[in-house]
Amino acid sequence: MATRGIDYANLSLKDALDLAILIEDEAQERYEEFAVQMDQHRTPEAAKFFRYMVENEAKHGRELSARRVARFGSAPSAVSRTMIYDIEAPDYDAARAFMSARKAMEAALASEVKAHAFFVSALPTLQDAEVRALFEELRDEELEHQQLVQAELYKLRPESGLSDDDFVDEPAAQ
Amino acid sequence: MSATGTLDFQPKDYKSDLKPIWCPGCGDFSVVQGIYRALAAIGRPPHEIAFVSGIGCSSRIPGYTTAYGFNSVHGRALPIAQGIKLANPDLLVLAAGGDGDGFSIGGGHIAHLIRRNMDITYIVMDNQIYGLTKGQLSPTSQKGRTTCTSRYGSLEEPVNPLLYVLAYGAGFVAQASPTDLVGMAAVIEEAIRYPGFAFVNIQSPCVTYGEEAQQIKGLKAIQESLASLGHNPADRLAAMDLAQQYGEKMHLGVFYRNPEPPPTYGDLVKERQALLSKDALPRERILDLFIKK
Repeated sequence: MATRGIDYANLSLKDALDLAILIEDEAQERYEEFAVQMDQHRTPEAAKFFRYMVENEAKHGRELSARRVARFGSAPSAVSRTMIYDIEAPDYDAARAFMSARKAMEAALASEVKAHAFFVSALPTLQDAEVRALFEELRDEELEHQQLVQAELYKLRPESGLSDDDFVDEPAAQ
Repeated sequence: MSATGTLDFQPKDYKSDLKPIWCPGCGDFSVVQGIYRALAAIGRPPHEIAFVSGIGCSSRIPGYTTAYGFNSVHGRALPIAQGIKLANPDLLVLAAGGDGDGFSIGGGHIAHLIRRNMDITYIVMDNQIYGLTKGQLSPTSQKGRTTCTSRYGSLEEPVNPLLYVLAYGAGFVAQASPTDLVGMAAVIEEAIRYPGFAFVNIQSPCVTYGEEAQQIKGLKAIQESLASLGHNPADRLAAMDLAQQYGEKMHLGVFYRNPEPPPTYGDLVKERQALLSKDALPRERILDLFIKK
């Protein structure tokens, strides 16, 4: 989780909104990739959950985009995807072949915790009052997202006690 | 379009529609992201980039980009990349592959590319195993490593890729890892910008056949930024000292950047062509060279 070349002290509300949209885009894209990976590895439960996360991230991105357009129209942005790295997107390392739905949800939960930590850590560096308010709102939304994922986790039946390794073939001589 | 009139590229502009089929969790997913970001920062359009690979899991990488791609023959990425660069010097040429492809079957090609100093960036995804063929010893596997074909442990010392290329005189040598995506993208960008042969070794874990110590958590435990050590990348001997710790420590960043890059092979070819062109026969009289007068 990191950013590069973003001057938080002088971040405008327009660029803060764009940054938030990019963060949602990145997460949406990563969950889409994970869903495809799970499809490829015949893991439909995890794929279904990752698609659920795709929808959530897309919905949030659309809401932010609408606010951005309403307030700033199509004014050019000063932030880009090259400046953000895995803020809300789960790390690539979080996916595993044959992961259970529970593991998929735990990976998403860890990402929401990570995103919350990002907004918390950025807050002290912000100067603009409106940007601060936006970041506080986004920080709180990450907590709501955590609750959303936790609610999905509670719906699951308890784990059987088998680990992922029980389903992965050992390396075999050719 | 940017304020300066140049085209702006985003990482997604270099991402193809082909879906990677690597194992979920594979380090190569991060590597291709690092490449997208580095290319976006460089800003060359995809049609001005040629990406060549050999054979192996990581060699699938050109297909996941929108650049011209050539998933070639095992160990032969570098000769093909050199041919492309010679035929069309204006292309930005990248080569990529795994440690087996680069340092075993293709090992002999690296030395010659380095001594020619062609302007090619070579990215090796070093996972210390042959993953595509289900986990056999590769040239960078640690001594004692057990695999399906070495049940009692490897008896061989590993190749040290960093020391190897430094010893042959590579002008730019760096190491990166998916544990630091920001650093990885920056190092790849710097390698591409270096005018000459550039080598980037990326410690990319194999989640299926790799050992626990070589996974992200294990790598994080031994990683150390070269910048934080105060390493001077212009000091080749210091770089060689640090490179000797390959396998024990994972140093991230630029080991060596030649402060006075020598002319590339392409530069020398142009110079030679200019020198000989005044006495060169026109194409229609080329056969005269072989006719005794």
